[in-house]
Amino acid sequence: MIEITDLRKEFVLSKQQRKELNTTDKIAVAVDNVSLKCTPGRVFSLLGPNGAGKTTTLRMMSTIFKPTSGSINITGIDAIANPAEARRKIGFLTGSTGLYARLTPNEVIKYFADLYGISKSDFEERKERLYTLLDMHHFQGKRIGKLSTGMKQKVSICRTMIHDPEVVIFDEPTSGLDVITAENIIQLIRDCKDQGKTVIFSSHIMSEVDLLCDDLAIIHNGKMLFDGTMDSFKSNMQAENLTAEFIRIIKESN
Amino acid sequence: MIFTIFKKELKDTLRDRRTLMMMLVIPILVFPIIMNIFVGVSATFSEEAATKKVKIGFVGDKDNYVLKQLKSLPKEMGKKEIVFYRDSVQLKKDLKLDSIQIGMYSEKQFSSNLESQKPAKLIVFYNATDVGMKDRAEIYLNTIEDIARQERILDLKLDEAKLTPLVTEYSNVASSEEMIGKLAGGILPYIFIAFGFLGCMYPAIDLFTGEKERGTIETLLTTPVARWQILFGKMGVVVLSGLLASTAALLGLSLSIEVLDVVENAELLAIIHGILSVKFILLLYALLVPLTVFFAGVMIPIAVYAKSFKEAQSIITPLNIVMVLPAMVGFFPGIELNLTTACIPVVNIVLATKDLIAGTLDMGLLAISFGVMFVIATLAVFVSYKQFDKETNILI
Repeated sequence: MIEITDLRKEFVLSKQQRKELNTTDKIAVAVDNVSLKCTPGRVFSLLGPNGAGKTTTLRMMSTIFKPTSGSINITGIDAIANPAEARRKIGFLTGSTGLYARLTPNEVIKYFADLYGISKSDFEERKERLYTLLDMHHFQGKRIGKLSTGMKQKVSICRTMIHDPEVVIFDEPTSGLDVITAENIIQLIRDCKDQGKTVIFSSHIMSEVDLLCDDLAIIHNGKMLFDGTMDSFKSNMQAENLTAEFIRIIKESN
Repeated sequence: MIFTIFKKELKDTLRDRRTLMMMLVIPILVFPIIMNIFVGVSATFSEEAATKKVKIGFVGDKDNYVLKQLKSLPKEMGKKEIVFYRDSVQLKKDLKLDSIQIGMYSEKQFSSNLESQKPAKLIVFYNATDVGMKDRAEIYLNTIEDIARQERILDLKLDEAKLTPLVTEYSNVASSEEMIGKLAGGILPYIFIAFGFLGCMYPAIDLFTGEKERGTIETLLTTPVARWQILFGKMGVVVLSGLLASTAALLGLSLSIEVLDVVENAELLAIIHGILSVKFILLLYALLVPLTVFFAGVMIPIAVYAKSFKEAQSIITPLNIVMVLPAMVGFFPGIELNLTTACIPVVNIVLATKDLIAGTLDMGLLAISFGVMFVIATLAVFVSYKQFDKETNILI
């Protein structure tokens, strides 16, 4: 379960940033009083154009950023008061996630298992299960720098899931991937849902959203424009398809 | 958790060829190569200077006293050939063209003055760019002057002792260790500072800016590990790399001395062995650790702030000059470790190391130097922590 209430994030703008953005404002509001609730066993999709505030919201959820105000609750843990505890429950994967190119998949997975304090037996069991599931055995000892994009993505998935998180956050997970590699991610999201995990993912690809999500929120300029189920979104559509409806909502808000 | 991060970062760093080059290969090889070339070249020069046939241009009578004495000087004093000139104009031209290496011009009254036991003037021309030729002329003429003086003393039937009012003997009270420490001891701290800095540089950029650039830092920050633990784990590797680079440079220096035999003087070699005791090495590292932590603490905030490897490198590289400049203090004689210099970071380490080699290190001043470096290193670490904790800095 993820529950966020009145979440706000402000960034102080440097002189150079003010010049670049052509503004006199000293503060930029990236997320403006956003509230949402993601429930276990359902896939929540956070939708918005580039710069809408999706990544900032997800980074606050995963405790990388501290909110300016508001509250974040991750599986009953106050993530602002106890960020380390909350992080134990979270698996975080982004499309731009890098891996340590000079290490092997085995070394990376062990490193993250150690950082999460996983016992040796749990580690061995989960590693074996994930390696089999993702067909990783044949490249487990190769340097990551020498692996293909698809193989790297599998290592990222394994790294995200090695501590068996209750909540999985995906930030534009398929961005820049080919359809075959993206399929691994889509399958992972489905598996997480089937296992009763809380899943939130950000995207601007409507076909992916349609394929996977149960609940949906649209965010633009840091503000929430829609929050509801996918079914209610579809039934109230004024445009002819999902993409057109998404564009209509964004344009209307401008 | 700090150790887990340290282990991983160390493994990652040791697999980076660029870091390995800067941390181990270059520091180990640079001294054997430089010293070998230096010793080889200077030996060739000395040998060449000793065996080189010197052409001496001479303006004066054929039966000139100096000329006769020059011809009768032993061959061990170097091969020479006399070339006669009518005047000094052509002599100077040829000297410039290196057709001759030394020119001598005796005045017309030279022989008459000598015979009447008056001072006889001889002008010596030389080309200062032809290194060693003035020395060679001085050796010849000092010998000839000594012979002439002895002849006059005999002629005048004087007692030589009566012409020697003072007998002066200079006795050096400084030990050989002190001499080496004060005069050549500056090289060791210079090596440590220069290579310690270089050794820290690449891991600092790679582990902080590199991780940002490669997009791996975001994942690391979502683990339950506190940011200060991540910082300390990474900083440990940066400090270790700096220490390893310094140690590698020291090893390179030892290699030059022990294997390549660049120090031929047995007495000097024995003194160097005497200096390198276990206590000396322990004290040296006690000075080096806060210094290297300080370097890491200065570089990490820059590496955290920079958005790319290039940007970090372009800021840290000029900083190298700022840090290494105080190390030059070690080469100036007369600047000693005292209450003032012990409070100047980096300079105190250089001067303390010099005193350590000389065996004249004051433990009180060492404690002050260590304390100053400890405080400044702690401050640098604090600044690193503040920068690393800034969320706008750690993500691109």
